[in-house]
Amino acid sequence: MTNGHPTVSIDNITKSFGDFIAVSEMSLAVYPGKIFGLLGPNGAGKTTTIRMIVNITAPDSGEIRVFGQQITPELQDRIGYLPEERGLYKKMKVGDQIKYFAALKNVGAKEAGQRMDRWLARLKLSEWKNKKSSELSKGMQQKVQFINAVIHEPQLLILDEPFSGLDPVNVEVLKEIILELKIAGKTIIFSTHQMEVAEKICDDICLINRSRKVLEGSIREVKRGFSRNAVALRLVGGESVLADGSLISKVKRDSDGLEVLLADGATSQSLLKALLAADAIIERFEMIEPSLHDIFIEKVTENA
Amino acid sequence: MNKLLAVIKREYLQRVRSRMFIVMTILGPMVISLFGIAPAVIFSIRAGGPVKVAVVDQTGTMYSSLYNSVMEEAEEPDSTNRPADARTPNDNQSERFQTMGNQRVEVPELQAVSIGGRSLNEIKAELDRRVGAKELDGYLILPGNLLENGAAEFVTRNTGDVFTRRFLQRALSRAVSQQRLIAANINVKTVEALSKPVELEATKIGATDRKRDSGEAFALVFGVGFVMYLTILLYGQQILGAVIEEKETRIAEILFSSARPFTIMLGKLIGVFFVAFTQLTIWGLAFVAFTLYGVEMLSARGMPIHIPTIPPSYFLYFALFFLMGYFIYSTIYALVGSMVTTAQEGGQLAMPIILLLVIGFYLFLPVSRSPDSSFAFWVSMIPFFSPITMPVRIVAQTPPFWEIALSLFVGFTAVALLTWLAGRIYRIGMLMTGKKATIPEVVRWVRQS
Repeated sequence: MTNGHPTVSIDNITKSFGDFIAVSEMSLAVYPGKIFGLLGPNGAGKTTTIRMIVNITAPDSGEIRVFGQQITPELQDRIGYLPEERGLYKKMKVGDQIKYFAALKNVGAKEAGQRMDRWLARLKLSEWKNKKSSELSKGMQQKVQFINAVIHEPQLLILDEPFSGLDPVNVEVLKEIILELKIAGKTIIFSTHQMEVAEKICDDICLINRSRKVLEGSIREVKRGFSRNAVALRLVGGESVLADGSLISKVKRDSDGLEVLLADGATSQSLLKALLAADAIIERFEMIEPSLHDIFIEKVTENA
Repeated sequence: MNKLLAVIKREYLQRVRSRMFIVMTILGPMVISLFGIAPAVIFSIRAGGPVKVAVVDQTGTMYSSLYNSVMEEAEEPDSTNRPADARTPNDNQSERFQTMGNQRVEVPELQAVSIGGRSLNEIKAELDRRVGAKELDGYLILPGNLLENGAAEFVTRNTGDVFTRRFLQRALSRAVSQQRLIAANINVKTVEALSKPVELEATKIGATDRKRDSGEAFALVFGVGFVMYLTILLYGQQILGAVIEEKETRIAEILFSSARPFTIMLGKLIGVFFVAFTQLTIWGLAFVAFTLYGVEMLSARGMPIHIPTIPPSYFLYFALFFLMGYFIYSTIYALVGSMVTTAQEGGQLAMPIILLLVIGFYLFLPVSRSPDSSFAFWVSMIPFFSPITMPVRIVAQTPPFWEIALSLFVGFTAVALLTWLAGRIYRIGMLMTGKKATIPEVVRWVRQS
């Protein structure tokens, strides 16, 4: 999973506000060309960590390196940031706002104008360019914010809950763009508590809870580590096999069939053989991995 | 540097293009003249008709003399028989207003009451009834020994009407002294001719053209003080609102991910300063145009106005003191804005700032009256007041250059300190959400960062 030097490397950082410890002894590495998921429940310390990466606040101790350097205001120009709390100037025209944020990232006016027109067209906002942002719907405002975050073509893009509040069509459009940016070699840090989304687009993840890192690695690795030998079944007959404690430790029934957990020592092969031997009609037999959602719930409740 | 320019440009263009700016630029001078004229206009309003006063003349001779005196007093209220202490060199403000009122007071309608053998109590009872029935507003009793004792009684429904009382007092004094002169066989006309008051014309020292200065200088001093006060207040509030907007909408977070918080704050202060400066320049040019063309035009139509000429160097001073005052107050406004979470909280926390400004504004009265006093010197050295008081002194009686320089030095040192302080608080305050920052917290931020 590691190719080259990490775009972002965080080494043992701690940040507290008064008595409240927001991030404690956190270390992580984000590699170029990857989508890195920063996952965790609300209040886990995701936003504080991100704010330190973009140099809005500084850690109390520990070190953050971005593009291999100690973070400086100059490096900010190479980072794009879409905060969780969205903000636009209500009375400013959409086009003017985008150009303003581009100027703050040292993008020339002409260049910014051309890029803006491309983005507005892509996100179907062209006819809103000269409207004040207070006239836009929430979803449209969010797309404008996304443009603000990418207008300077950053090498590192940090997206804090980018999909919240978007309709399914726009979620797809945005997802497509994010994957394109990844292919173009950008590094993306993606913070969310929606595990379904993270599962689909992240390469690597880091799960944090109560200011601490509890889990990290590629999605593959994480899931393998949590393999619980679960099998999804849809059967006609075979009830006797399901009751066999030497094969199956737990049965969970739902509308679409059942999910069973294999007993210690039992394999999927031995279960399949036993079912065949019992003359059961097998409509579905599938080894299933735990979802990120399940892992998340398990880890977070175990820590609580 | 590029980023600072970007912030300045945005703050400037967004505001100058706004409808609010255009409206204020046009309406501003009107509002200012309204504030200047309103008190005089309000004092001139006389609700109801002329005051009706009945006169009970127990001397039997004073009434006609009093009546004549009232008529004379109405024609030339200031000429004779003013009590000697009415105009001390330092008229205080309430006297100034009263003078204004006196000039507008309507002549009371006098009517003689025939005594017809009734006792004073009977007459009083009758007059009380008439006052109660609102046929009369009051009555004046001139006792038989008026010329000897110099005391009369005025019974009125409205003791708050000091103007009518003073008017009657003056008219009566005049009548009594005339009667006393007659009694002493002295010719009244001779006395009047001999006691004709001197006219005193005020000319500002150092003025090149020695034009007559009759009150317009006061208007100019007031105008300078008021414009300073109003613009600082107006644009300080704009800073407050803009800072709170960026905090409330969390735009601050994006801004801080792009540039140093100090750059953002400074850019905002400078941008809005240029907006204010643009507005003041427009007003200044309009004023100059008015003095060049408008005055002449009005004079030609029979409305002579004297506007004391302002040396160009004064405009430079005004600009410097405005720059200073603006930065002192707007930095505090920015600081307050970063500490609060809503506009309402901001309004509350801004009250003490406004109070400072208002005090500074009212100081123009004592300062303009005695611009070379040590009081005027000290208040024009205090940074919170000097942006208003020093320009007032410059217009009223230009102090030595070193005083102006010292005031500027102290003021700009304060600006530097405040900017440093605000920068530290702003950086943390802008990202803090949920509750208003407490003073101990703010102190900790300043120490930490």
